[in-house]
Amino acid sequence: MSFQERFSLNFIEKGRYKYLVSGIENTLLITIVAAAIGIALGFLIAIIRSTHDKTGRLRILNALCKLYLTVIRGTPTTVQLLIVYFVIFSSVSRPMLSAFIAFGLNSAAYVAEIVRSGIMSIDPGQTEAGRSLGLSYAQTMTYIIIPQAFKNVLPALTNEFIVLLKETSICIAISLRDLTYGTQLISSQTYDYMFPLLAGALIYLVIVVFLTWLFGKLERSLRKNER
Amino acid sequence: MNGEVLLDIQGLEKHFGDNKVLRGITTQIRKGEVVAIIGPSGCGKSTFLRSLNLLEEPTGGKILFEGTEITGTKVDVNHIRRKIGMVFQQFNLFPHLTIRRNITLAPVKLGILDKHEANRRADELLKRVGLPDKADAYPEQLSGGQKQRIAIARAMAMNPDVMLFDEPTSALDPEMVGEVLEIMRELAESGMTMVVVTHEMGFAREVATRAIFIDEGVIKEDNTPEEFFRSTQNERLKDFLSKVL
Repeated sequence: MSFQERFSLNFIEKGRYKYLVSGIENTLLITIVAAAIGIALGFLIAIIRSTHDKTGRLRILNALCKLYLTVIRGTPTTVQLLIVYFVIFSSVSRPMLSAFIAFGLNSAAYVAEIVRSGIMSIDPGQTEAGRSLGLSYAQTMTYIIIPQAFKNVLPALTNEFIVLLKETSICIAISLRDLTYGTQLISSQTYDYMFPLLAGALIYLVIVVFLTWLFGKLERSLRKNER
Repeated sequence: MNGEVLLDIQGLEKHFGDNKVLRGITTQIRKGEVVAIIGPSGCGKSTFLRSLNLLEEPTGGKILFEGTEITGTKVDVNHIRRKIGMVFQQFNLFPHLTIRRNITLAPVKLGILDKHEANRRADELLKRVGLPDKADAYPEQLSGGQKQRIAIARAMAMNPDVMLFDEPTSALDPEMVGEVLEIMRELAESGMTMVVVTHEMGFAREVATRAIFIDEGVIKEDNTPEEFFRSTQNERLKDFLSKVL
């Protein structure tokens, strides 16, 4: 079979490319929703943890957060996804919702530690300057510390979201039709593994390169303030 | 000195674990005074200054600000700090904000001035510290001396009743010390109440209305600058002055 024939068989005939298109949609949707949950929950945890580290308050919340981080970071993402899908939603089949929750909660743990390190890296003099002007702890965090911390950890966050995007490929474990599963659906019909898988890999690569470029641009525009 | 008492410090103590940095400091700061705090490094003078706006929480003793005890538990620290400006050795400008935003952030977010008023006030203050064209610059673009002048303007934007200076010229290159001291001198002449931890003996002698020598966590000498520098009887102070003058 020639290259064109294999290409046509795998992607054109019976509109098989649609498996990839809808797969991309699902992969991106899961990544975006999980990243949003990860950012919201991750920042919250980071703020609780760093507030505890700096002031000694919020001891119980901090202990809960630490427990959460230990469990999430100490177990495989695949197992977490399977638990959410088969145990928590055992009576209903909700693969997308399961993926949102599992990846969101997972990502939050990593985002939290990245952001916390960013907050802790800001010179204590910044907090003192804010507080000495009469700003509350929360206002100082919001207007002075978090914006600087965010800028500092943006490269690490970019990395985390790229890992997240690629990790969504384990959705195959709950038969969710993401990009990776799309390639397998094509293979199962055409008995060709190379073309669909290489196509899938290429698509992941293009998305990752694009995201890296996009975040790099954001980072540069935030940095230009300082020169 | 018979101005109204702004800060009334009674038996102030501060311990860091077993390290007793302040061992009972009692003094009053009156309106219009410029008090220079002098002492060897590690004597507790910065800790004393930082206790006055509760950046350090005192271990013992009392501080009354304008008649209200601020060391109590029921006090709104944030509200009190609005009236006590502070200038740091390391400037601590906010690097992610323009100079204008550095100055207007607190008054605007605390609802004291609206954005328009705050910008006008910032322009006014920038003129006063001699940097009217730096409003849209970022801190990194300024020299150390300029940063410290902005830090003074930022503290003044809150219209404080007293300003605390924690070694404001110690982190500066020698040629920039003068410009900062000049701003502080003008501020003193305008009637601002100031407490200044400093190693600048010239400033203490010429601008301060009172000089306090802190050593081993207590006040060893509290006098007018003339007496302080010329005719002190305190051996420790004599010894210290002979080393720094």
